[in-house]
Amino acid sequence: MSERVSHASGPSRVGRAVLVQLVGWPSTLGAAWGTLVLVFLLNLALFGAIHDNEPSPQTGALASIYIITFVGAISSINQVFPFTLSLSLIRRTFYTAFALLQVGQALLFGVLLTLCKLVEDVTGGWGLNLTFFGLGFLDQDNPLLQILVYTVPFVVLGFWGSFIALVYQRWHLPGVYVLAIVKILAVGLPIVLITWQRWWDEIGRWIVDQPSLSLVAGWPLVIGVAMAGAGYLTIRRATP
Amino acid sequence: MSTVVEAQGVSKRYGDVAALDQVSFTLHENRIHGLLGRNGAGKTTLMQIMTGQNFASSGELTVFGERPYENEPVLSRVCFIKESLTYPQHFKVRHALEAARLLFPRWDEEFAQTLLADFRLPLNRKIRKLSRGMHSMLGIVIGLAARAPLTLFDEPYLGLDAVARHLFYDHLLTDYAEHPRTIVLSTHLIDEVGDLLENVLLLDQGRILLDTTAEELRGQVVTAAGPAAAVNEFAAGSEELHRETLGRYARATLRGRFGPAERDRAQQLGLDLEPVSLQDIVIRLTTARADGGSRPRPDRATDPGKEPIR
Repeated sequence: MSERVSHASGPSRVGRAVLVQLVGWPSTLGAAWGTLVLVFLLNLALFGAIHDNEPSPQTGALASIYIITFVGAISSINQVFPFTLSLSLIRRTFYTAFALLQVGQALLFGVLLTLCKLVEDVTGGWGLNLTFFGLGFLDQDNPLLQILVYTVPFVVLGFWGSFIALVYQRWHLPGVYVLAIVKILAVGLPIVLITWQRWWDEIGRWIVDQPSLSLVAGWPLVIGVAMAGAGYLTIRRATP
Repeated sequence: MSTVVEAQGVSKRYGDVAALDQVSFTLHENRIHGLLGRNGAGKTTLMQIMTGQNFASSGELTVFGERPYENEPVLSRVCFIKESLTYPQHFKVRHALEAARLLFPRWDEEFAQTLLADFRLPLNRKIRKLSRGMHSMLGIVIGLAARAPLTLFDEPYLGLDAVARHLFYDHLLTDYAEHPRTIVLSTHLIDEVGDLLENVLLLDQGRILLDTTAEELRGQVVTAAGPAAAVNEFAAGSEELHRETLGRYARATLRGRFGPAERDRAQQLGLDLEPVSLQDIVIRLTTARADGGSRPRPDRATDPGKEPIR
């Protein structure tokens, strides 16, 4: 049968699972960048109209693409995962493809943002002294480090969003409530403990001692990988 | 004939409720199986377990000789179109087909295009803007064009008009003849699919009530009509599923063996033996059980008013 041969010689099952998640990408990935470009143009128009840009304006609008990525990961798990499971794709393959796509997409976005920042630097803030893509204190001189600084938050947000969505897919609303309680305790109890033991100074010193790369890329990446692992354990027996 | 699905004592519990209770059966290759039963009988749960989308609490179920859960070689040969199939919000009709083309190794694009044209499905319409019937058609197109060796349809035609339903039956039969595969069809429109089904698996309250070929079943259940005394005499050896009486005249639906000897006897007693439609058989069998077991109760004069509401 010719169609069987084409499947056998075409992309692997994981490759197909990646492609399935890219079906209709203009309305997902396209929308993310479309929104960013729109916000950027609005900013250009706004600060172009103001003329007198002193001190040089810094917008927080870059956050929009990170928020869209977070929401995109949630809706991918809530919509694409049940759909592909219905079409006989196993959970492991779906999640492997999902994770590859998250990392690949984060890297692509990181490179694109780095390029935008380069243009911004070269053009003197788009001729308006405007800082749209630059990050201020997080700016790096090494372009590779700059890519990493842009990329890591995408990875963390993607796996964080997908983990929440997977908890919902597996345990439904009660699961999400429990997760919220666990998160509050996980943040709250250490704060109580640190305050009680007066450890804030030592923690402050530890943070200052960390290389900046660890703070912007290293530790967040550890959290991202932990989320990805938790997501994998959760999806294994999810029955959406 | 080789076995495609084999279930041994499969149970599924949700808290105190047993959705499936010690279910055992075998589905043979390249046949059309009807999975019948009332709402809540456990049909969907059973199909979800067969396709690795759900797990049994106990028991063993294999598909193509292996457990289906997270089994890529097995599941890539399975297609399950469920009534509640949902698509990503941003999907248009053509996106759903693109996804199916990627995931089903035996996908036939030409056949899919033929089906789309027959069902008049607009390729560029958003799926969430489709009517209920068109939504069902899309599922049917995917289920048929996937040509999966094991194809399951769970109530595939919610909201479909009669023309579209018959288009589905026609395409199913034609394509099944050219590309034999194992089909499981779960439906409430039993009369419409009665002639399609080769095997019948009847579930009731999580248990298997019947697992037989459609032909054998039709020979097993008859309606005997005539004088009540003669009906009583004839019914003595078989299981009585239902009875209507009107004065001294009675009509009883009986289950047993009705060969030439029994038919001769009915004639001697002055009784008419009539075949019973598959739908009536299913109704009688599930009602008999709901009334308190399917034990033979030849002495019971059924009051039609006591029938449970369906």
